[in-house]
Amino acid sequence: MRGGFLWRNRVLLTAGMLLVLSLHLVSTGVHPGDLAARPQSMFLEILRPIDAALARVSEGARSIVNGYFELIHVREDNVRLRSELAQVTNDRARLAELEAENQHLSELLELRDVLGLHAVAANVIGSDATGLSHTLILSAGSSNGLKPGMAVLSNQGVVGKIIAISPHASRVLLIDDHNSALDGFDQRSRARGIVAGMVDEGLILKYVDRSQDLKSGDAIVTSGLDGIFPRGLLVGTVKSVHREGPGLFLSVGITPGVDFRSLEQVLIVTQQPPHLDDKVKG
Amino acid sequence: MRLILLFAIFAMLGLALETAIPHLISFRPLLPNLIVILAVDLGFRHHSITAALLAFAIGYATDAFAGSHPGLNAFMITLIFLVCFEISSRLMVTSTFVGATVVFFGVILTALGAIAISSGFEAVSQSGSIMPSLALQAGISAIVAPFVFSILARCKRAIGLPVAPARE
Repeated sequence: MRGGFLWRNRVLLTAGMLLVLSLHLVSTGVHPGDLAARPQSMFLEILRPIDAALARVSEGARSIVNGYFELIHVREDNVRLRSELAQVTNDRARLAELEAENQHLSELLELRDVLGLHAVAANVIGSDATGLSHTLILSAGSSNGLKPGMAVLSNQGVVGKIIAISPHASRVLLIDDHNSALDGFDQRSRARGIVAGMVDEGLILKYVDRSQDLKSGDAIVTSGLDGIFPRGLLVGTVKSVHREGPGLFLSVGITPGVDFRSLEQVLIVTQQPPHLDDKVKG
Repeated sequence: MRLILLFAIFAMLGLALETAIPHLISFRPLLPNLIVILAVDLGFRHHSITAALLAFAIGYATDAFAGSHPGLNAFMITLIFLVCFEISSRLMVTSTFVGATVVFFGVILTALGAIAISSGFEAVSQSGSIMPSLALQAGISAIVAPFVFSILARCKRAIGLPVAPARE
């Protein structure tokens, strides 16, 4: 038995079967509630406290670094008051951090009220593990009423949508990821297209007819037709419009409205606002 | 069981760092790909079904924190394990230099493979702009790999696991 083909190649065969299994998972997809989604949720839940702790450490480190730089300036001005000023500077940096956080949350609340959305706020506690995809980890999960497919916004515009969830954490696929797409239109010319992410950075507006009048600086907003993002939210501004070359469509580059790297708090839309049609019927 | 525990701890530590640190430093390529390093160590030094399952599990855990297609990292990490297993069992080569070289190419191929499977080969042809940063990350991962192999070897010795390739 031990000298048999299967036994001799057991590692190779196991790895081969696992490769087939993983390709099967990629091709069929893992849906919430599937058996295959449970380990994912478990891993996300296990790492959430560590990520949250590291995020807090990073906040502290940032405060200390800010305090340090300000301390250097103070030292140049007055050496005698150095220690006292260090304390004041540290306190100020901390307060500035709290003020900035307060400002972010106030803006998010304002956005929620203006749009009439049912939404919850969450902190960003981590990024994509490989860096190849553009995803973020949030501090809120299914226990906060979140579900996969919900839209994620910031006061600067559209951030992305939730793709994975655990009881106390969730992952967001950013709109600039190369697997992301949403329905949008140019606010000035009303030209519609699909906003898609790219492998490196930035966004493109696909499938825009060549006859459309798009200009650099135009605002691109969500159409609401994809059923995920509420209508009229800022996606970005037109960076470049290329009419040269063959093809039926324009090549439109977009600068995202949101600075994804500096995101700290976001808003997750838990219930879509009623459509105009629904309001009319109501 | 000891092997599973050791690699589970290292994988979780690696994933925690890889998800939290990019939030601190803006230049992502400076962070080595610790998961690929773990897969290379598994493939070179542990010739068992448990090691193959561990490689798959580490990849699947990575899928919980990266990408939008669950199973993609599981596929790439299992593939790296398989390549390393074949190199070490057929060529009988497990030196640190070879390990670091495999890590270098492993990081690049994992990235391009993941892009190709998730978005098609057209996306790979558009990924020229990320190649410099990808090569930098691969280089840093290759430099860090011998240190990680050394730490792993010490931990294995401490808990009584074989450091050289061992078959079930």
